[in-house]
Amino acid sequence: MKANLMFREKDFDLNAEPRFGQDALIADFELNRVLLSMAREDQMIETVCTVALCCPLRETNEIQYRQENLRDALRNPEAVRRLYEITVDTEKKIKSSMHWLSSIYLSSTFSSAIELLKIYISMLMELRTIADRKISDFQSDGFRTLLTMLQRELSDDYFAEINSQLKELKEGNNTLISATIGNYLQGTHYVLRRRERKDTWWRWQFAPSFTIAPRDDAGAKDLAKRRDRAINEVANALAQAAEHLSGFFDMLRRELAFYVGCLNLSDTLQALEMPICFPDLQPLQSCDRSWQNLYDVSLALMKNSAVVSNNLETTNKSLYIVTGANQGGKSTFLRSIGQAQLMAQCGMFVGAACFAAPLRKEVFSHFKKEEDSSMKSGKLDEELSRMSEIVDHLASDTMILFNESFSSTNEREGSEIFRQITLALIENRIEIFSVTHLYAYATAFLENKQTQFLRAERLDTGERTFQIVPGEPLQTAFGSDLYKKIFEKI
Amino acid sequence: MFYSILFPTREQYDEPRQTDVPVCFKDLNLDQVFAPIFKAKKDFPLEPLFYTPLNNSEVITYRQNIMHELADENLRGLFSDFSASIYRIRQFMNSLRSAMSSEDRWSNNYLARGRMLDFAGRYCHTITTLMEKLSKQTFHAEGLLRFKNYLATYCASDAYQSLTSRIIRLRDNLSTIQYCMMIGDGTVRVRKYEGQTDQSSRIIASFEKFRQGDVKDYRKKLSEDPYADHVEAAVINLVANIYPDIFDDLNRFCSKYFQFDDETIFRFSQEIQFYLSWHDLIAPLRSAGLPFCYPKLCDTPDHLYNSDGFDLALALREKDKIVVNDFELTAPERVIVVTGPNQGGKTTFARFFGQVHYLTSLGVCVPGRKAALYLYDNLLTHFGREEDLSTLNGKLQDDLERLHTLLNQATSRSILVINEIFASTTVSDALLLGGKMMDKLATLGAPTVFVTFLDELALHGPETVSMMSEIRENDPTERSFKIIRKPPDGLAYANHIAKKYRLTYKELGRRIRE
Repeated sequence: MKANLMFREKDFDLNAEPRFGQDALIADFELNRVLLSMAREDQMIETVCTVALCCPLRETNEIQYRQENLRDALRNPEAVRRLYEITVDTEKKIKSSMHWLSSIYLSSTFSSAIELLKIYISMLMELRTIADRKISDFQSDGFRTLLTMLQRELSDDYFAEINSQLKELKEGNNTLISATIGNYLQGTHYVLRRRERKDTWWRWQFAPSFTIAPRDDAGAKDLAKRRDRAINEVANALAQAAEHLSGFFDMLRRELAFYVGCLNLSDTLQALEMPICFPDLQPLQSCDRSWQNLYDVSLALMKNSAVVSNNLETTNKSLYIVTGANQGGKSTFLRSIGQAQLMAQCGMFVGAACFAAPLRKEVFSHFKKEEDSSMKSGKLDEELSRMSEIVDHLASDTMILFNESFSSTNEREGSEIFRQITLALIENRIEIFSVTHLYAYATAFLENKQTQFLRAERLDTGERTFQIVPGEPLQTAFGSDLYKKIFEKI
Repeated sequence: MFYSILFPTREQYDEPRQTDVPVCFKDLNLDQVFAPIFKAKKDFPLEPLFYTPLNNSEVITYRQNIMHELADENLRGLFSDFSASIYRIRQFMNSLRSAMSSEDRWSNNYLARGRMLDFAGRYCHTITTLMEKLSKQTFHAEGLLRFKNYLATYCASDAYQSLTSRIIRLRDNLSTIQYCMMIGDGTVRVRKYEGQTDQSSRIIASFEKFRQGDVKDYRKKLSEDPYADHVEAAVINLVANIYPDIFDDLNRFCSKYFQFDDETIFRFSQEIQFYLSWHDLIAPLRSAGLPFCYPKLCDTPDHLYNSDGFDLALALREKDKIVVNDFELTAPERVIVVTGPNQGGKTTFARFFGQVHYLTSLGVCVPGRKAALYLYDNLLTHFGREEDLSTLNGKLQDDLERLHTLLNQATSRSILVINEIFASTTVSDALLLGGKMMDKLATLGAPTVFVTFLDELALHGPETVSMMSEIRENDPTERSFKIIRKPPDGLAYANHIAKKYRLTYKELGRRIRE
């Protein structure tokens, strides 16, 4: 039994090798704050959403499948949250029951498994109840298939059958065991048998028998061991059944966690009156982008208020060079793009009023490291080696976001290194967003038709708007502004 | 007729064997060589075989041919399994036979009879398996050929044939039995099994659909052996009541075939371990590329040689770093005098010379690519010992006393290995005594290796061969451990090492002028 809410035909795998560069993406795009808001202290949601965000989907139909399920979840938040709660409650009840499957005593495994199965069965009944009550409200393929399956597999007949099995195993002091003859005539292949209708008391009472002597301790222990050998398979079957059910509830929780996380984030952003929208994703070959009111979700969550947003509309561009004043909103802008791309490609809504972008196979980030006390002279080395690692994973139709890269050396050297890298990447159809101070680097692409220049806006008064607008690089840096502001204010 | 895989005749087999460790073992590190064998083969009495050198070329050749044929790893595996099985069966049957001869119902019951049937079955299986596998094998060694024929005759005998068919019939009948026990209140009731449903399969069927992936196996490894034999015996008695014909047949079988195993086959299974253990020991060395060979046995010492040989005890410790060496004695040469810097492999070379001779006399393969070795009467060693303060004898006196005993025991058919003697005296004394000893060795004419720091002794006469540990020109501190035929040259090493540290005369002159 599979829920298949994340993929139409496969499980959502949490144990996959972490994607290359995952930690860098989370740190550079400040995704932690987004994940925390989605999780609301639920570890499972955080884990699932992390994996989902960092493993962009590449197929339009996969993304559409999740989008459709998410739309359904946004329409039926209570039912989705209730299903999730059942999975969480199950885990809590199992934990607090104090029954453990792994015991040195088989008889303990045997009875614990029966008790655990009883808890699981009661929770399965709750799932059935929700399915019965809510199925008509859902429209998406994902949720309808799940709820239908619950109704079908968890029928009244099924509950009757498994309850009677557990009841049979719990009662009775007589054990019926079959055996065959082993290599030296000892009994082997013990199997616990069900007492059938023909196995009457009368019939067995007059069968050939052997009774152990009253003080024969070894004999008594021997009889107990016979029972252990016979229940070995049954205890295993029961414990494995409990494990199957544990796995089933885990799986269900995993598949629902993403949608509950999205519900949480949506609620929070709506309270801040920030827009969300389902993105319009173009095929891989497309080089057009447009958005309105694109904002940095993480920044909104941190400030707990509305934040500046940007608009853009471009066609046929593959290199975006962003220049302009320090603290003018360039990094925020870059992050908002990274976040939106990742959110879009995992089937989520994005933080914008509308957002259209091409699909990308992978997203990479190469951000200047703020401080690195461990290195003095090796900073450029570090940057280059990090870049070289990324290059091992780069391919056509991926995208990479640079933030102040290669500025750890002098401008001419940095520019030339960076120019060569950039040129090689765009010629291999890798989309680049580059926030930079390297003037020589930026102006080297002035003649390049695929380049979109953007600039942190500064009004004639010298004041920043934190908006990023089209505009070619300007030679003058705005550091003097900052200098003035800080040093000459007093 | 086949009797033993170690000796061609019964008379040779019956000759007395050494049970004490031979005196040369410690000096030649042969104790280290055999220790792993004795440890791995505790069940088999191999010590006297490795302690007893032979000087009968007929027996040595008998063994060499068998050893050679057993270089085939598959064949060894075959005999190794066979030997282990027969050993185990014999061990168990010995104790079982005494239990079954007793009047005691506690030990003489259906479980004991069941075990006997089991061992008889294993015995036949072991014999038949070996027979089938050997039939595809072509042997050249006389011993193996004779064993194969013996086995074929044994297998074809009426007694063996009826034993096997009887076991098969009993097993077939027993396998039809399936019974049910109803256990409760200290009582076991037994009836035939009548198709009652398996509880676990019902559970699996009901819950399998929730499976998400692999789950743990909660089954315990429970012994299939009964906890209390008397309860099990009682239960089998109940089963015997339900199936009387099958169990009567078993009783008749047990009395008829009480002694089912064959002595000659048992002896073979023990003796073959001599060959197997040797191959086990050297197999890792062989795969590391070290050569072994079957030496030509020489009645005279006129041409003895071994190429690419090595100290086996050292090789067992450090097989990857072993340096191989050669020696050759062509008449009138009899005495190899080894000189050269310390830690250069001189003692190792002396051990190698002694070891290959000892090993040859056992009939095993020895280190080296090609060898011709002496069929000696006595292998005598004299290695300089740590000074023993508990005796009042000075070291020189001790050396001389031991040397005297050694030379008294030696004949022209002996092998002598003498290492670092007279190290505790003045050079002039040592030269005098060494010279006298060399005279005696020359007269004796026994093949000898003599390790010494006295260059002069290496030039004693036509019977003397001088060998030296080799020194590398480019880096004298790096030992090559190669011992080569070369006139003695005590200063070579000192010159090389000085060069390396730029302390030679020329070098020092230039450095001082600068």
